[in-house]
Amino acid sequence: MTTLLDYAIPGVPFGCVFALMAVGLVLTYKASGVFNLAFGAQAFVSSLAFVSFVADGWPRWLAGLVAIVVLGPALGLVLDRVLFRRVRTASPLVKLVPALGLLIALPQVALIVAGSAPDIAPPSLFFDAQRVYLHVASVPISGLELSVTVATVAVVIALVAVFRFTPIGLEMRAVVESPRMTELAGVNAGLVSAFAWVLSSCLAGLAGVLLAPLYAQLDSQNYTVLLVWGIAAAVVARFASLPVALLGGIGLGIGQQVLAGYLPAGILATGLRPSLPFFVLLAFLPFARQRQVDDPLAGCDPPPTALVGEATGYRSANLLAPSGGDGAGHAVAGWHRALQARADRGAGVPSAGAHGVVDRLASRPTLVVAWAVGGLAVLSALTWVPNVWLVTMTQGIAFAVIFVSLTLLTGMSGQISLCQASFAGLGGFVAGQLADHFGTSVLVGMVLGGAVAAVLGVVVALPTLRLAGLPLALATLAFALLADNILFPNSWVGNGATGVTVPRPQLGPIGFNGSRSFFVLALVVLALVAALVRTVGQGRMGRLLAAMRGSELASVSTGIDVHRLRVVAFALSAGLAGVGGALYGSLERSLSPDAFNYQLSLVFLVVAAIVGLGSVSGAVVAGLVFTALQTEVATFPPRFSGLLPVVFGLATLSYTRHPEGIVDFLGGGVLRALGRRRQGAAGAGGGDGPGAGPGPADRSSARTAARSAVATGEVAVPEGGGRS
Amino acid sequence: MSTASQADPVLVLEGVSASYGPYRALFDVSFSVPAGAVVALVGANGAGKSTVARVASGLVPASAGRVLLRGHDVTRRRAFEIARMGLAHVTEGRSVFGSLTVEENLTLAFRRALGHGGVADALARAYEVFPRLGERRGQLAGTLSGGEQRMLALSRVLVLRQDVLVVDELSLGLAPVVVDEVYEALGTVRSGGTALVLIEQHVNRAFTIADGVVVLHKGRVAYDGDVAGAAARLDELVLGGPPAAAP
Repeated sequence: MTTLLDYAIPGVPFGCVFALMAVGLVLTYKASGVFNLAFGAQAFVSSLAFVSFVADGWPRWLAGLVAIVVLGPALGLVLDRVLFRRVRTASPLVKLVPALGLLIALPQVALIVAGSAPDIAPPSLFFDAQRVYLHVASVPISGLELSVTVATVAVVIALVAVFRFTPIGLEMRAVVESPRMTELAGVNAGLVSAFAWVLSSCLAGLAGVLLAPLYAQLDSQNYTVLLVWGIAAAVVARFASLPVALLGGIGLGIGQQVLAGYLPAGILATGLRPSLPFFVLLAFLPFARQRQVDDPLAGCDPPPTALVGEATGYRSANLLAPSGGDGAGHAVAGWHRALQARADRGAGVPSAGAHGVVDRLASRPTLVVAWAVGGLAVLSALTWVPNVWLVTMTQGIAFAVIFVSLTLLTGMSGQISLCQASFAGLGGFVAGQLADHFGTSVLVGMVLGGAVAAVLGVVVALPTLRLAGLPLALATLAFALLADNILFPNSWVGNGATGVTVPRPQLGPIGFNGSRSFFVLALVVLALVAALVRTVGQGRMGRLLAAMRGSELASVSTGIDVHRLRVVAFALSAGLAGVGGALYGSLERSLSPDAFNYQLSLVFLVVAAIVGLGSVSGAVVAGLVFTALQTEVATFPPRFSGLLPVVFGLATLSYTRHPEGIVDFLGGGVLRALGRRRQGAAGAGGGDGPGAGPGPADRSSARTAARSAVATGEVAVPEGGGRS
Repeated sequence: MSTASQADPVLVLEGVSASYGPYRALFDVSFSVPAGAVVALVGANGAGKSTVARVASGLVPASAGRVLLRGHDVTRRRAFEIARMGLAHVTEGRSVFGSLTVEENLTLAFRRALGHGGVADALARAYEVFPRLGERRGQLAGTLSGGEQRMLALSRVLVLRQDVLVVDELSLGLAPVVVDEVYEALGTVRSGGTALVLIEQHVNRAFTIADGVVVLHKGRVAYDGDVAGAAARLDELVLGGPPAAAP
């Protein structure tokens, strides 16, 4: 019994650390409707400021005060104004991407501003971090542990009191349910939610400053890891209850200490501890989503704009639909698609694209430009391009394969995956291990690696079948952590610290050891994968996926087996990512176990979403851009080595304006200009009656003008937003 | 209803147009509501009735035209400002905060309007008029019956004595007996001097207490006049008569 206590008591301060993160997440979610994954980054910024100030000789209390009460809220308000306010009623993906982008970019921006991380050990705000102040059941409690525990419990009590007993607390609760209805009661909802942001940003600052001495050196990654534990505790609290978040955090803290104490040393002990959030998330996520209350006035929002590509095939239109149930036109469009897909099942409608290639090229000038540029690039690569660039281009192609797998999963079927890098990594490891141990050809290994990754995709899909949106994203994120900690370190997967060698393939007499030959091979693989995904997208399966993306409910009610469809989509996407990972491994000739860690999964989703999830070409561009930036930035002086994430961060700003992705947006621009010229006068007078022409004061009308004919044909706006 | 009974109307819409994104819902809608009067706003599904209500209360911006409340131009005002200036909007469906208790629902509205000191009195008056709310003051509003939720929404307006109440589909989904109760409450609100804009599917029911009628058809005003005139040619007006001007 003493041993259990010996393990459990040190777990409490640990748990309070998680709880502090969880309380911040829950508070932001309650107050703004955004699950603010950038919370970890905000915490890091405050801690960096605190440590830097102290290093400059400021007194600790002043440094803490400025970092927590001035800097934290200022940052929070700026983020709210430029980013989160725009996406509060957006779809889960559109909400998630900016937060993830910030999680990656914000610490780097802060480091560039600060010059570098100060090289002093982070001091603690109160108490002496290392000194033992008291003993609880003969377990020594250090100043750090004491300050974290006391502060967390005090914060939770204070917050609960604010929410329950103060006017602003009542107003915050009302705003969470419906900002518009709160305004109808005469309360300035904008002001109330700004206050909530200030509050939660202060909390992020407090968490950052308090937890700084936990580590010998400031590192934003530590905050990301803590954030994942915080997410688990927040999910236990169903994103709603602050006291339960506290208890959940403490429970996790005790749990991980007890696990560490009792499990035999080895992979299980070192691996299971960091994977605890995964199991907790999986157990509690199904209960978390039922807590959401719909805004009864969501019908006041305009329906989601139909996107450029609606007429040309699958596109990301419904990724952008407002959350909180099916919005007005959204539901109708989803229903329409479901019926269409259902009809196709019986009739066997031939896939689109019957008209000639020339017609298509003529109607899409961007396509001509894209093919010309692509052709020129390939030609250059095969003739004069230096080796270094060629390798970079090949890397880009390998990443493009992985991004195409995201196009299938997120772009076409609307499922969010934050473990795509894990699929890719598994594919690479399998190909390498097969070659190393059995001498299997890497080309065969690529296929087998893809197959094994596909199996893993099924394993991920099955327990998450009932999840969608944010809960699904969190579950896949937790899975990526699980893979990082339990799966990849094994000698038969990622081979511990040494990694896996992946040879270059050999096809009969042809070897692919040279850069140019391997480039051609990679190009062929990409072409095959892209063709496969395009075929899937344009065929019956693509329409089924589009139907599911539009509305799972409508799909089920027309007889589509949504569960099976999701498993298939996950398996296919994971398989393709596995092929991409194997290709990358073979290019690099080796893979370290953390080559495809969970952070890369986050980067993948953010880049893919920003550049364009809606089309295969978007994914290819994403792969190339990603690699080009990475390589280019590596040549910069060290101070600017964080510039790549900064570019991501800035790109998320553009993302909130153009969630269809840069590629679709630019492509649409040309299309639109052309359409306007062609239609001329005919375009203006669409007809009369509601829903005919765009209103004069409507600024987005220009964007939708080109396809308003398509849109108005199938979507009418019912009185009351169609939610009766 | 223009200038029919009184010189200074409390709510005026002048040439209002509104859209949801690219979808236009209102075309050049004009009518006015005299102080203390009851205007029934009727029309088929999708005619734009709820949009008129939302433009009046500031939830949906007007893309053209003006909205005047007690003579002040409120077209560009935010919803909470309009609410404080004396326009109440009871929305269609659930119009109370389901996650707050009855008392919290009332307190939220009363504190801004009356200050901390006035809340207790206002609560007492609300419970006096609707004793059932008093019995359930600690209960979550989301667990009230549909009729009780409407009572809660109305009691707020009743106590605050706002100038205009725009009420959207008050009787929708209620049992006939409950509809009677709700209309009784509506009568109480009216006798307190509040003008009503009544959006109602039960047209005949609305006509029994209305002073004037505005008929919307496809986002345009098809009729604006007295009750008898509207009742005489209701089918033609609602179901697609020519969008004629007021007789």
